[in-house]
Amino acid sequence: MHTELREKHEIYDYLRHSKKFPVMWCAGCGIGIVLGAIIRAIDRMGLDRDRVAMVSGIGCTGRMPVYVDFNTMHTTHGRALAFATGLKLARPDMYVLVVMGDGDALAIGGNHFIHAARRNMDLTAIVVNNNIYGMTGGQYSPTTPLHMRATTAPYGNIEPPFPLCELAKAAGASFVARSTVYHATELDRLIEQAIARRGFSVVEAVSYCHTTYGRLNRLGAAVDMMRWLKENSVTLAQAEKMSPEERETKIVRGILLDREGPGYVDLYDEIIRQAKAAENG
Amino acid sequence: MPDEEVALQEKTTEKKTKRRPRGEVRLFGKWCKGCGLCIAFCPQGVFEANGEGRPVVAHPEKCTACDWCVVHCPDFAIQVRRLDDQEGKG
Ligand SMILES: Cc1ncc(C[n+]2csc(CCOP(=O)(O)OP(=O)(O)O)c2C)c(N)n1
Ligand code: SF4
Ligand code: SF4
Ligand code: SF4
Repeated sequence: MHTELREKHEIYDYLRHSKKFPVMWCAGCGIGIVLGAIIRAIDRMGLDRDRVAMVSGIGCTGRMPVYVDFNTMHTTHGRALAFATGLKLARPDMYVLVVMGDGDALAIGGNHFIHAARRNMDLTAIVVNNNIYGMTGGQYSPTTPLHMRATTAPYGNIEPPFPLCELAKAAGASFVARSTVYHATELDRLIEQAIARRGFSVVEAVSYCHTTYGRLNRLGAAVDMMRWLKENSVTLAQAEKMSPEERETKIVRGILLDREGPGYVDLYDEIIRQAKAAENG
Repeated sequence: MPDEEVALQEKTTEKKTKRRPRGEVRLFGKWCKGCGLCIAFCPQGVFEANGEGRPVVAHPEKCTACDWCVVHCPDFAIQVRRLDDQEGKG
């Protein structure tokens, strides 16, 4: 027990102190910052941690649930949303958070992602977008920008990336937002709103993988990539004043979609009610 | 005077009369991996790198308890306790 730490900082209260610390991520990796933001959001909302579930697939991001004292499921690569859907329907009283890397969410798990959005499944999906497969050493992913290098694209990537947030919007999500690990407190406020919203909520947490993507593309260390996020992201209001060409080059932060209405669980409950009523007479 | 300037002037007078918040920084060396984020981004320059590039709290008196380092340390290795006015003196 790290009692010395626990006295002073809410984060330590949520960590599983039986696990090995420090966390397994490379020095300076943004995934720990996203984990901090998630914990702050949950702490601020005052959720009962026994009613919170964190579900992940496989990847560096997928290691997140290992470290936190919620109900956790560390599942198979790409299938976190499928497991989470089962959990949510069995236990609709739970707050189910799904943390995924961009490969996990959009390559092998792309089908689950669009269908969770289409169903408007009551889940909070937090995608840590580092533009690469981090855990397996830097293969390109469906969010690797055009012409950037990966171990599997030594001469540059020729596949256009999926715009993650646009995809979620078009597929039927209720809430879609984006921020970066530089804007860590903005991130926790967005996560808070995502958890509160019914239906499928997506938060894209733009991060970096300096040890693979950064190294292959000569983008520098964690400090340099963090500075890049700071200097190349704009709020929605700032983006609106830009030309489409200029906007293309920026990471736009903020709530990109927020629509009220029933989620899948509300409709499912209604079906159960109707079926029961029909059965009883 | 344009509104912005009025606001700015009010802010500076406030700064003069109000004591800046102060913080007490604690680094948990066992968890720190020496990534350098806190050294590079602390707006007050509280941290300095030692010979191995790891942070040391070189200027504790400059900390304004802004919490940048706390929320950005990817290893949860920094705590900042906000000092009340009495503790902040001297
Ligand atoms: C079914 C299956 N296919 C492939 C893998 C190998 N694999 C593990 S993690 C990973 C991708 C990791 O990238 P991402 O999901 O973006 O997460 P990151 O590590 O960048 O956080 C792959 C391909 C696997 N574990 N299981
Ligand atoms: S490989 Fe990349 S994503 Fe994985 S922990 Fe290291 S920096 Fe982070
Ligand atoms: S940000 Fe954290 S891990 Fe990185 S150097 Fe500072 S204290 Fe160490
Ligand atoms: S709280 Fe702010 S001022 Fe104090 S050390 Fe951290 S970053 Fe610097």
